Amino acid sequence: MSAPTGSAPLPHRTVANIRSPPGAGHHQSGPSTPIRHIPSNFGSPSSLRADEEILIIEIGTRKLQVGFSGDPAPRGCVWFCPDQQRRVGDFRDWQTDYRYDWRSAAAGGLWGRDHELWQYDVRGVNLGLVGDKIERALGEAFTKYLLIDSRPRRMVWVLPSALPIPVLSAALDSVFSRFQSPTISLLSSPLALAVGAGVRSALVIDLGWSETVVTSVYEYREVDSKRSIRGGRMLVEHTHKLLAKNLPETQGGPDGKDKYVVSFEECSDITTRMVWCKPRPRSASGQPSSDALATVQEQDEGELEDRPVSRRTGSVTVPIRSWLSPTSLELPFDALAEPCEDAFFESQYSPTSFDDHELPLHLLVYRSLLQLPVDVRALCMSRIIFTGGCSNVLGLRGRIFDEVSHLIQERGWDPVRGKGVDQLRCNPKLRKRDARQAGDGPTGVMSPPGEGEEQDGVWHDAANMIPEIDFIDEQLQRATDRRPRVQGTLRPIESLGAWSGASLVTHLKALAIATIDREGWLQHGAAGASKPSDADYKTQRQSLGPGGLMRGSAAGSAWTLGVWGAT
Amino acid sequence: MAAITPYTYIQCPCSDSSTLGRSSDTNSSRADGADDDDDRTFDPRAPRSNYSLYPLEYLLYCEDCHQIRCPRCVAEEIVTYYCPNCLFEVPSSNLKSEGNRCTRSCFQCPICIGPLAVTSVETKPDPSLLAAPDNTAAPQSGPYALTCSYCNWSSTEVGIKFDKPNGIHAQLSKLRNGGTARLTAKERKERRRDPSYRSSAATEQGDGRSGSDEKLDLETQFANLKSFYQSQLADPNASDGGLAALSDLGFSSPTSLSRIMSIYTGGSLHDKKAKLRVGAIREALEVDEGLQLADLDESAAIAQLHSEGHDGTASTSRLSDQPPNFGEAHLHGRSRFVSELRPIPYLLRTKRSKRCPVCRHIISKPEAKVQTTRFRIRLVAGSYIPSIAIRPLSLSSGSGTSASGSAGIPGALLEPLKPAHYLLTFTNPIFESIKVTLGAPAKTPGRFASKVTVLCPEFEIDANTDVWDEALKDPSGAGELRDRERERERRRHKGEEGGNVSNNNNQLEVGKIWERGRNWVSIVVEVVPAWLRLEHGTEEQRLREDEDLLEIPMFVRVEWEAEAVGDEVGAVVGRDKEAREKRELAYWCVLGLGRIRH
Repeated sequence: MSAPTGSAPLPHRTVANIRSPPGAGHHQSGPSTPIRHIPSNFGSPSSLRADEEILIIEIGTRKLQVGFSGDPAPRGCVWFCPDQQRRVGDFRDWQTDYRYDWRSAAAGGLWGRDHELWQYDVRGVNLGLVGDKIERALGEAFTKYLLIDSRPRRMVWVLPSALPIPVLSAALDSVFSRFQSPTISLLSSPLALAVGAGVRSALVIDLGWSETVVTSVYEYREVDSKRSIRGGRMLVEHTHKLLAKNLPETQGGPDGKDKYVVSFEECSDITTRMVWCKPRPRSASGQPSSDALATVQEQDEGELEDRPVSRRTGSVTVPIRSWLSPTSLELPFDALAEPCEDAFFESQYSPTSFDDHELPLHLLVYRSLLQLPVDVRALCMSRIIFTGGCSNVLGLRGRIFDEVSHLIQERGWDPVRGKGVDQLRCNPKLRKRDARQAGDGPTGVMSPPGEGEEQDGVWHDAANMIPEIDFIDEQLQRATDRRPRVQGTLRPIESLGAWSGASLVTHLKALAIATIDREGWLQHGAAGASKPSDADYKTQRQSLGPGGLMRGSAAGSAWTLGVWGAT
Repeated sequence: MAAITPYTYIQCPCSDSSTLGRSSDTNSSRADGADDDDDRTFDPRAPRSNYSLYPLEYLLYCEDCHQIRCPRCVAEEIVTYYCPNCLFEVPSSNLKSEGNRCTRSCFQCPICIGPLAVTSVETKPDPSLLAAPDNTAAPQSGPYALTCSYCNWSSTEVGIKFDKPNGIHAQLSKLRNGGTARLTAKERKERRRDPSYRSSAATEQGDGRSGSDEKLDLETQFANLKSFYQSQLADPNASDGGLAALSDLGFSSPTSLSRIMSIYTGGSLHDKKAKLRVGAIREALEVDEGLQLADLDESAAIAQLHSEGHDGTASTSRLSDQPPNFGEAHLHGRSRFVSELRPIPYLLRTKRSKRCPVCRHIISKPEAKVQTTRFRIRLVAGSYIPSIAIRPLSLSSGSGTSASGSAGIPGALLEPLKPAHYLLTFTNPIFESIKVTLGAPAKTPGRFASKVTVLCPEFEIDANTDVWDEALKDPSGAGELRDRERERERRRHKGEEGGNVSNNNNQLEVGKIWERGRNWVSIVVEVVPAWLRLEHGTEEQRLREDEDLLEIPMFVRVEWEAEAVGDEVGAVVGRDKEAREKRELAYWCVLGLGRIRH
């Protein structure tokens, strides 16, 4: 089942003290010198933990995944839910006549909130509670799925990189004090995803629960991140809206003031089961755009004959139990695509009507690509990774991808839009750039530097300058010179997922930038963290190189929370 | 609203914020809404309190530290791993290689989680057709399937059939849904080990081409990526020896020294080796290296969703019960339809022994054999700290008002603003007499404050001596005691039966114990339940779950004198002195009395 663990002879560090294992890495590189002993300041104090496996823990807003490093997939997954927050020995959930009183919870503003571990808005968050929740969920995961005892173990956490320090600190507090782990390393999930996809640069579109985050990773570094509140929560709320609209008018609950008529659990269930996303309307995209687009559109043509008819007429019955009386709701199948449309695209409104925090997803992706420097953009756009819970909504990934490629086709990489620009374009006297409009569309990035100057005011000088001989660039060149990198075309790739990526990273013995020592944390807390730039500028740059290992020995003096910042 | 029987929860002292982690953590204490002072009242309704309250039966006790140990503050060690279905013990080495699930033929139904049985797919031929003797043997052969005897689910529904009736787990891991075979990890490893696989470029390309149209499953992609990364990490070091990377971990080695130097000299000192090493990983370019292009076309799944409807999809709870399926097409091809659910191999369970985290003494150790449920060592807190039993007390049942009479019935709803009395019986389990001090806030915390009065907050409970000890000891003294007790017994009966006619004893007196027994004491608590009416204009118009419960936080402090179980050194001195040691134990507990009518 999990043979990779068998072929993983190097449990993280200490084993090298004891024996020289036939590591798979140098096995392949032919004859090699025997392994030297590692300096003592690197070894962990106790060699008893030689066979210790590192725990990889991915913590998200709604669930927690645990497993051992070197495994391809997490062994267990624990969802945060109100049942978990009961007292020990409270078995009312198992009583036949008991039903979770979601109405009163919803009235307390808890509709769905009790299914979340944390909120990013830390003003109202009970941080102690966050720690308690993590502790209990971890405890459950350890006993139920990992079957491990409570010996101290090293952990690697995979976290969203936007996690606020107070929340992170509460989580670390609770885990350090309860599970006694000697160190906890933090990995940001976009990075882990990139590793899990086998690329160094990527555009990670995380369709998460509380928000959608588009992160650009360039050479294993997060260079840019944009977010929008259009996430899973919004989708579920729109699903609720749809259900409430279609349920008979009952003036809400008993007192008529209830905002919610169906329980969160049920809405969430229906959302994951039934909600789907329509493909991009074909009328707008008259001509087939790019090669990448073709996959979806071709398929549509093939099924055009039968589907539209059946879609109109087809309806789906959705049972609803948590309403005033259990009922079943007949919904047209098309209606079930509405929540997705409303939550993520809202194409009926003009793009200018959105605030920065609620951009529709395709605009969000387009803008974050637009903002990237040309070379970064070229790499990122051909390595698009979709992840997060909402990426399981059928058709959503394809839709976003199509919308984005359409936007690129329409606008190119011109940040300036508006009537003035259009006039400029249309006026043949003023038109200087029709060459670009002609046909390169999304591949505009590939254009020679001379043209890039014209397109993009910001990069104006770059073309004329004699490039400095950059050490890093040289290396990148050297690393890639053998085969050309795909760049400049939109291309989606699959990642194993953040958990598996972290498992790979840890298995390959690359240490995280942010490695927190238990002692240090208990002494200073988050205040002890130095800025990532102060702590290890060097090692950060080398992220995945073997040099990253040096971080471990330097951890004693200055440590950092990496992208999570410093107080 | 179901009525409840009164209950007691105890907060383990380990969850005091002062002992938890860094004391300087201002956030957590502020979140508690209380200071770290001693007079801080514990709020049983605070969301955090759910994590620190335990029924007495869940608590253990460390005899050496004289402290309560809750499931959160014990160190666990695993005694045995076993499958809850076949009760076979699993060696821990298997766990590492085979995972956390039973690898025998124990499976759960993905629909109803009932146990699955291996049955032959072949339907029995009609007995009327032929009575030949070989007919009986026929169903034994042929393909087999897992079937659920409860809901009649069968693995044939997902297209999975087995050739052999045993070793189902191994067979299943080789089968994709629909019955198509997949390479197991072992086979793939063998393929990788194949020298032609990595040495010659020609075969590599050939392999890549064959694999490119095939979609990688999760495990294959992981394995491909892993081997790719490993080869990348090893490559640049090939010239200068195997684990050069590992050798320059500390500052003691020359390479890292030079690297440090280079920080200050701006990279000019960088030697070739370092240059080679840094950033040497390129990205994966082929399927063989783990790069998997995403297929965003999900129209087939949408069509299926349309045709199968709501009933065809698996609920989230069913999906979360599914084991991680390494063979599935991909993360985004994760099963969502009922027709894709696979049988769930049973999760293994463990028997654990528990140690005190402070003194490392074992406080609970189960029998290693899976079949026995006995414990070798089990220091339950119930035999060390006084238990509290709660019983409604009908004082004025004689007066005949039906409303107050209802308070006497256990589990009845409490009337708001109407004083009710409860009898708390503290039972002393230890062989020393203990002194109990109770502290309860005059008003319960929360939105609805009920008034609480503990009539006798300080009392002593006699030791839990053997029932026969008293009788056998000094006949005069004990007899006297027994006489007194018997008289009290008589009085109690009279008090209960006679109502308030002879209420010389029934009078509630502040500072007086209600009743006393050999090792127990009853005291009375008076509560005035709150009026559960929300003012209009408040933010929340509804009662939250359990907000109508009348729960009293109570601080219990137990003091007793025990024989000093001195350490090795002190024991010699202590023994002849007959030294007594004063011990105390203090904790918060929560008494749930009942629901208030609303």
